[in-house]
Amino acid sequence: MEELKKQIKEIIVRDLKLQGITPEEIKDNAPLFEEGLGLDSLDAVELVVLVQKHFGVQIEDMDEGQAAFRSVETLAKFISERRPAGV
Amino acid sequence: MSGQTQGLGARLEALGHTIFYWMLRLAGQTGAYLLLWPVITTYVLGSRKIHRLTLPYLSHRFPDHGRLARWRDTHRIMLAFGRVLVDRAWLGLRPGAALQGCLEGQDELLALAAEGRGVVVLIAHVGNWQTAMAQITGMQVPINSLMHYQEEAVAKHYFDLRKKEMPFKIIKSDGFMGGLVEATAALQRGEVVTIMGDRYAGGPATEVEFLGAKVRLPAAAYSLAAATGSPVAVLLAAKTGRRQYSMKLWEVCRPEPSDRENRRRDMQKWAQRFADALEEYLREYPYQWYNFFDFWSQ
Repeated sequence: MEELKKQIKEIIVRDLKLQGITPEEIKDNAPLFEEGLGLDSLDAVELVVLVQKHFGVQIEDMDEGQAAFRSVETLAKFISERRPAGV
Repeated sequence: MSGQTQGLGARLEALGHTIFYWMLRLAGQTGAYLLLWPVITTYVLGSRKIHRLTLPYLSHRFPDHGRLARWRDTHRIMLAFGRVLVDRAWLGLRPGAALQGCLEGQDELLALAAEGRGVVVLIAHVGNWQTAMAQITGMQVPINSLMHYQEEAVAKHYFDLRKKEMPFKIIKSDGFMGGLVEATAALQRGEVVTIMGDRYAGGPATEVEFLGAKVRLPAAAYSLAAATGSPVAVLLAAKTGRRQYSMKLWEVCRPEPSDRENRRRDMQKWAQRFADALEEYLREYPYQWYNFFDFWSQ
């Protein structure tokens, strides 16, 4: 799980091209959107695509998305529960 | 006193609806069209409100028109809108009623869907958008529609009247992240997602030139397309005869992913192409614009 969280943080910083923050500075429980990391709805779109691309996990609807996108912690839990074997 | 006036207004409006429904039952679409003429004329001559609603658009579309021409324009636009409403009711009341139409660019649209990367179909509040949505059913892939609750109610009403199941799944734009998470998933499955490209109802926006002035347009569609690699198709319907409409694929573009710092600039570029397509449509069908509010202040 720790490795997965590290991977998610790296993807967020690298692929969403966040500036002024390193993966290590992102707290596991910090909110991803608005007052937390400051991501917006356009980032949410890219994050859905990135989760599918890197982990083979599809976020299907708003209930799933809302639960998964709270923090790195919840996203890691969501991915680990659904990740196909070998990805 | 004003409460009594409002109550009287509501009762008169309900009476008007009842008369139109009776006319549709007794004399069909033609009868209701005939009734529209004196009703619209009375409104145009006697109501200031109707001119306030049409003025923002008409003053941008026809900046040179004087007072009399503007009144004629208002009459034409309200008559066109009234006919769309009559058609909608007529289709519901008469089981055998049908509108004939064609889709210019159908092969291209089918080819876009066949690429398997999903298609973002942009529509607008012009012509008869419910008819447009009813006609994009032959796509071989599921269709989703990102909608605000008011549009959802109108669409449901349209298909309820037709006693048909809605041929698309609604994604509510007032949900989490404006429904963009679900829309992204649908595009990733290779499905079609229709989005209203004209009215801004929250979420990301961008400013473009439209009919000679700056206007804010919703921009999520272009970001969705860029992230998923889906093409964007602008599909607009127009009423071209008493029982005819024409649908046309006005524009196809392929937004590409951009850096965080260039994202806003790129969204503006794609939204401008939509605005240009809409302008082109309005050159051909100037009286089929149904955004009755100050569109340039949205």
